[in-house]
Amino acid sequence: MRIVSGGQSDVGQQRTNNEDCFRIVQPLNLFVISDGMGGEAHGEIASAMAVETVVKTCMGEETGTAAASAETQPGWSDQTGRLFNAAHLANKKIYESSQANLQQQGMGATLAAAWINEEKLSIVHVGDSRVYLLRSGVLQQLTSDHSLVAEQVRRGILTAAEAEHSELQSVLLRALGTQPEVEVDAEEHALFPADILLLCTDGLTRMVAEQKIAGTLQSESDPSKAAEKLVGLANENGGADNVTVVVVHMEPKESGFLSWLRHGAQKNAGKNGSA
Amino acid sequence: MPKLTLMFEEKTVKEVSLGARPVGIGRSPDNDLTVDNLAVSNYHARVYVDSGKMVVEDLKSLNGTFVNEMRVERATLKHGDSIHIGKHHIKVDATGEAPVSYGSGRQTATPKINETMVLDTKMRREMLQQAAALGERTQLAAGRLRVPTLVVLGGKTDRKEYTLTSKLTVIGKSHLATVRLSGWFKPKMAAQINKHDDGYYLGAGDKVPSVNGSPIQGPVQLKDGDQVEVCGVRLNFIFRE
Repeated sequence: MRIVSGGQSDVGQQRTNNEDCFRIVQPLNLFVISDGMGGEAHGEIASAMAVETVVKTCMGEETGTAAASAETQPGWSDQTGRLFNAAHLANKKIYESSQANLQQQGMGATLAAAWINEEKLSIVHVGDSRVYLLRSGVLQQLTSDHSLVAEQVRRGILTAAEAEHSELQSVLLRALGTQPEVEVDAEEHALFPADILLLCTDGLTRMVAEQKIAGTLQSESDPSKAAEKLVGLANENGGADNVTVVVVHMEPKESGFLSWLRHGAQKNAGKNGSA
Repeated sequence: MPKLTLMFEEKTVKEVSLGARPVGIGRSPDNDLTVDNLAVSNYHARVYVDSGKMVVEDLKSLNGTFVNEMRVERATLKHGDSIHIGKHHIKVDATGEAPVSYGSGRQTATPKINETMVLDTKMRREMLQQAAALGERTQLAAGRLRVPTLVVLGGKTDRKEYTLTSKLTVIGKSHLATVRLSGWFKPKMAAQINKHDDGYYLGAGDKVPSVNGSPIQGPVQLKDGDQVEVCGVRLNFIFRE
């Protein structure tokens, strides 16, 4: 499969600083987003640290032992294990930094990361940033928010509609960097040609209905443009928070004959074949 | 100055101009636009200007505020928009001169936890305990462990029975599919079954599957005993105790 992606982050209509952060590491097919929190500019520090640590760990530039809770599960791919460890390491780094710097106390960040290797998808997440999969027109949220309202919905105390209007939407049950150890959710899925992945912060999902998100993802064939449109929609609807969107398209590889017909000689002559 | 016109069906009830002061909308008579209907909250919504933009804000009303049919908490308004509140609607006319900003708009809004915060372990435990006390009944109802299972009733598949363990289940010819179909011209991904918080939903793939004989119109939640048919394969969705 050919993987094409695009992302955009925006401060929104009501905030003055953008505490969101994202990175697309194309050669690895690694996608990371984070939404920081904590007064002054510390949310930005936390989200940047989260993204940086995850990217570096996955690239093998950063090695370190995370907390004891970072024990990977048997049966996971190396990739999932590494991503899981990276999330724990990010937690540790942010926590240590906030302990060492008085003014950074209380800072934290969410994390949602997806790593694609061939047709295998590994995802990890902490907090209320989300990963969605759009498959044959069906939008499916792969992550479960670690927020108080989401937990109340799972326990049948609130309905999904009530949760959408709750005043406690911003209360998280888990975040990176606020405790010495954190529980990280990790999972693996198989990807199919034409699948579309969406990583986003709550600045999108609180402003734009899922149906509208699905429609936009389906109608826009360029992932960068899709990301741009989604950010635009969030802003049109009020843009109450920073908004970050990463869109990833799994494009079917053309079969040998068709591919030869279309690209033929140039492809063989020019490219060095790196992914 | 922009104008707001309260309408009931085709009848104009009242018209107000939007200046520096916000326009209150609700059932209580001290609103600028009083809407006399039980479905409308006393202080239902308000419209004001923030940084040059006209904004409608729902004041946690019971039945909601809608802009062009979409429920909103807060939304930017433009000329020609229609705000629906109960059975009334308010036409937005922004052709007039741009008003002065109502700067303090956000500060005076109903208090709300806007900054993201994390519950520490103790707070988390307390809040979840409260939640648990309320949710106990629903938890008990789902008591026994029930395993979602697909039993093959007919057609060519690689197994006779499948336990749905993953969040995403694909029925198709692909080597990645959970329920693998064999035979010529079978699609790689014929249909999908996705797990949500409240159950399992059947959705289309390259084909539109049927549930109990009728083709689905969009994702549908599967019930114990449902018969799913796609590409000549018949599956029985059941919960094994």
